[in-house]
Amino acid sequence: MQWLRQILGIAVLNGKWILRQPLWIFQSFIGVIGLTITLFAWGSSLALSNLVVAYLVIGSWGLGLNIVAQTIGWNRVGHAYESYVASPITLPIYFLGTILGSMPFFSAHLSTAIVISILSQMDLAFIPLALLLSLISLILGAFLSLSIILRLRNPTNISAITNPLNTLTTILPPIYYPLSFLQPVLRNLALAVPTVPLMEIGRWLAAVPTGQEIALSLTSLIVWTVIVTVLVAKKLRWGLE
Amino acid sequence: MTDYAINTTKLCKKYGSTWGLKGSTFKVKRGELAVLVGPNGVGKTTTVRILTTFTKPSDGKAEVLGMDVTRDYKNIRKRIAYLPQGFEVNNNLTPMESVKWSLVAKGCRLSDAKTRSEKWMQMMGLEKCQNRVGWTLSGGEKRKVAVSMTLATDAEVVFLDEPTTGLDVEARHIIWKIIRELVSNGTTVLLTTHDMEEGETIADSAVLMNHGKTVSQNTPQSLVNVLPYKYRVTIEKDGLGEVKVPEAIDLGDRLIIYAQSDEEARSLMADLSDESMILSVGKVGLEDAYLYLINNGEMPACSG
Repeated sequence: MQWLRQILGIAVLNGKWILRQPLWIFQSFIGVIGLTITLFAWGSSLALSNLVVAYLVIGSWGLGLNIVAQTIGWNRVGHAYESYVASPITLPIYFLGTILGSMPFFSAHLSTAIVISILSQMDLAFIPLALLLSLISLILGAFLSLSIILRLRNPTNISAITNPLNTLTTILPPIYYPLSFLQPVLRNLALAVPTVPLMEIGRWLAAVPTGQEIALSLTSLIVWTVIVTVLVAKKLRWGLE
Repeated sequence: MTDYAINTTKLCKKYGSTWGLKGSTFKVKRGELAVLVGPNGVGKTTTVRILTTFTKPSDGKAEVLGMDVTRDYKNIRKRIAYLPQGFEVNNNLTPMESVKWSLVAKGCRLSDAKTRSEKWMQMMGLEKCQNRVGWTLSGGEKRKVAVSMTLATDAEVVFLDEPTTGLDVEARHIIWKIIRELVSNGTTVLLTTHDMEEGETIADSAVLMNHGKTVSQNTPQSLVNVLPYKYRVTIEKDGLGEVKVPEAIDLGDRLIIYAQSDEEARSLMADLSDESMILSVGKVGLEDAYLYLINNGEMPACSG
């Protein structure tokens, strides 16, 4: 059980700021609820079902891309990382603890997604698998962000990289609008953005119409996973650098 | 079991085409406090980073508790603690939370971590601010929290990279006292510092480094005894007149004059036109020994 304690310790050390500054979570709730009302007001139940998937899958993507990667970046800049390396803490414990510590941020997306899916009478059987996809999305988002910020010579303003990257991967591509809205040729191009195959798989799990063959999304996701894992593995060392 | 907690032999580190460390060789006995002293950029932090398994050496050998840093790094990490230079305390945590949760992260039970952190708040004189968030703490208080987070681990070997930089005298004395108590109880400490007075006051052994190499290692007093001088007199240059001085360091309008004997120091002071020109008189120390040793047995910028 020692490793569980260690994960909890890292989670508190790296995540306490979220609880100390609750307005961040409040802002997150406002954004999530506001978007829900907007789509509901325009009267599309399909849009709401799509929103449930987006909150679960893309909400965690933003968490990994922004919060987890930023926390690791801050730990490196503030030298906490070195002190963790020179201790019984291992890389998996550190990474899992950092993810756990960032979880309060996900509460807005998760709770709203569950409420919407209950109110709109969606089949809740997809939720466990969607949560698993959500975890993959979080790790992939963190890896993509880390593969960039760990290559910066002086990553002091980490959010200046991660925030635009988050906007670029979540607002512009077909996340909140369907992939089928795009011309067929653009659909394949859109699948090259990692959030799009994640979203397509989520839609498929939730029985929301998809815009392309699911096998293509799976292939894109696997390719992205391999690329960012290799890029991160080359830079994210646990000591002996 | 080896007698040495730390043992390095011709340790080197190359960053790109630049050698950051060109041959660091020294030993630290178990239960000893050694200081690694030298100016900025001589390789003190690189040496510590290698010993704490953060950085891989390019050449040479380094052992901690008899284990090779590149092969047995996993076992070494279980038995050491490290306060890196420039370590920033988390401003969102209180001192109590910082120490308690860092102990939990390192494997301590929550109840034990709570008891230990309370003890450390008391030892470091942090009780009054133990429940205040980091934003409200002074620089000195944050430094004490950082030192507590490291020392509270009860590790066998502790590495402290400039732990007292920027601290006031009183705070430094508190930290020195605690470190000496730990050493008395068997902990091995390797501490880096620019502050020769710190080294001279608390160290059992001093490792002098310059240009990426170890210049000398011995007890601070033995290093001082290498000097051919016994006293140093700081005077205002104006008061010197025609007085002939032995070895001296020119500080612009002041001079640090080195005297080989009591008689020489007294004679020099008697020759000065005005006694008020004498700013300080004292025995030579580690700082003087350091300057002498890194300059191949001469004081820098000497005038005879």
